[in-house]
Amino acid sequence: MSTISLKIEFGGGLELLFSNQRSHRITIPANVPPEGSDVPSKPVDITYLLFWLRDNLLKERAELFVENGTVRPGVLVLVNDTDWELEGEGEYQLKDGDEIVFISTLHGG
Amino acid sequence: MQRRKKYDKTKICVRCKDAQGNIVIRHTVYCKNCFTPLLIHKFRRVLEPTVNPKPDGPRRTALKPAGNLVIGFSGGLGSSVLLDLVHRCYVALDKSTMPTEGGRDHPRHERVWKKVTVCYVEVCDAFPGMDDRTDEIARFVSRYDELDFVPLRIQHAFDRTWWERIGRSTSFSDIGVDLADESLLIEPLSQTHPDPLTALRTYLSSLPTPTAIHSSIQALTRVLLLHTALQTGSSHLVLGTSLTSLAVSLISGVAQGAGFNVREESMEEWTPDPETRPAPDTVPDDGTEGARKSKEARRTVRIVRPLRDIGMKECATWAWWSHIPVVGKEKWVWPGAKPGIGTLTKDFILGLEQDYPSTVSTVVRTCGKLAPKGEVAGKCILCGRPAQRGVQEWKARISIRSQPPPPPSDSDSTDAPATPAPVVPESKANTRPSLTPYLCYPCHTTLTSRSARPVPSPWPDTAHSSVAPLPVWTEARLGTHANVGVSVADEEEIAVAKKMDQEEMKGIVNEFLCIIRS
Repeated sequence: MSTISLKIEFGGGLELLFSNQRSHRITIPANVPPEGSDVPSKPVDITYLLFWLRDNLLKERAELFVENGTVRPGVLVLVNDTDWELEGEGEYQLKDGDEIVFISTLHGG
Repeated sequence: MQRRKKYDKTKICVRCKDAQGNIVIRHTVYCKNCFTPLLIHKFRRVLEPTVNPKPDGPRRTALKPAGNLVIGFSGGLGSSVLLDLVHRCYVALDKSTMPTEGGRDHPRHERVWKKVTVCYVEVCDAFPGMDDRTDEIARFVSRYDELDFVPLRIQHAFDRTWWERIGRSTSFSDIGVDLADESLLIEPLSQTHPDPLTALRTYLSSLPTPTAIHSSIQALTRVLLLHTALQTGSSHLVLGTSLTSLAVSLISGVAQGAGFNVREESMEEWTPDPETRPAPDTVPDDGTEGARKSKEARRTVRIVRPLRDIGMKECATWAWWSHIPVVGKEKWVWPGAKPGIGTLTKDFILGLEQDYPSTVSTVVRTCGKLAPKGEVAGKCILCGRPAQRGVQEWKARISIRSQPPPPPSDSDSTDAPATPAPVVPESKANTRPSLTPYLCYPCHTTLTSRSARPVPSPWPDTAHSSVAPLPVWTEARLGTHANVGVSVADEEEIAVAKKMDQEEMKGIVNEFLCIIRS
């Protein structure tokens, strides 16, 4: 099974949910099964990554990270230093070496 | 159905029309290089027209404030970005942040404020189990040179030694308010000069709702910052309220009855009460001619929110790209407490901002067009904001303050009408001095609006006293008026509470409705 490596960073207090570690390097499958299938035929996207992070790296209070199948309102996502809204949000297909940053804007104000 | 794109037309930056965009701000795309000048422009555009005591009009002149600058710092995202921007633009004089017009040696490129102070109010003692972040904040502030740091604690609001330290007289007696009685009667405190921490916790434990606790801490923090501004000879207090936070405070303020103060949420000017004003000698003077001339003017502090055109997303992006290590704030929670109006409004506005990014800006712009009806009748003794004339009379006319009689049960054989039970304990005596005529509508509502369900106190073990202590500035102002039955807010009027029966009240409500219909 082919895999891709990603650099994940957390900021604005979100790192507190992930063992207080700001930077992580992870390896995930390059293809995942689409909904209702067992065959890994769909390229991995950010939505898959969100749930992967919740299930594998998150240590506490998942509701502060994921809500209704996407990031919680108030969490900003950058894909290679670019707002994920320019990249298709959760549908962005991840590539090997991508750098994904999650920043909470809710760390006070 | 295909999901709607969050940006207009192309992914190219709308400013340079060349580079690939990096961020979408309310459907508009900007690249990383254009984002920095855009944010600095928005920051300066709000702050600079407020710097000179009198606005310049269309002709732009040098920025000459009447005093120094205080930055209200909470450790949160907004205030961290604000501190960074103020330091870059006005302390470090970073050339990349300078406006291009006027040439290199234009007076606009000189240092604006002689002294910049960062004031942090630690609120950890107001909530159980909250960490003290003062040291962490001090380390954060020390990243920036040439800034003074003033750490305060929320209990300073009840601390006579702090009040004396900032040059105020403490020759007033210990008085408190009976928060269990809706009449808010002013009573002497059982203990003289209570310990500030105990006083704070007694005050908070006496408040009727979680919303009241949150609002009171915000109000206490704001007044502590204002007095610090006065003490440091500052003409300006800047706060890190972003566009998103401003929308939250506007909506939650209106929900709590602060509609009259909707303008103060964006920009306000505060002058200390004449009774509690420090002696002229205690106001610091840096020796310059301008400083001496403006000593009198300096007694007005202008509260400015320079990030009010910048959303939280832009703040978070700026903090990330500028490598600002945001310390953060803890949530104001305690066991058993339900979220208050402020927390619920924040959740609503954040959800709204994610789905409809422009709506948050619309909220702020719409509130900016509102002009409160009614006259100002002095300042609230608790929060220092303008109070509306005649609100208590209005409240008495429109409020029904008794419950209907309970339905007769089967066992109840008598036909005699039951006397309505008062919602709140009846006032002990209407002629006794009360805090009510000194308060603005939102503060009065904060102190008196009760929840139908019991509210857990953050400090259940604190000894309950029927009379809660008052902040020092309130005590000081009350203490200067021997006859506290007279409203300080409106000294020419004497406010006397009058009890009316149900029929009389119905008549007044009907009359009011007839006027509305006609």
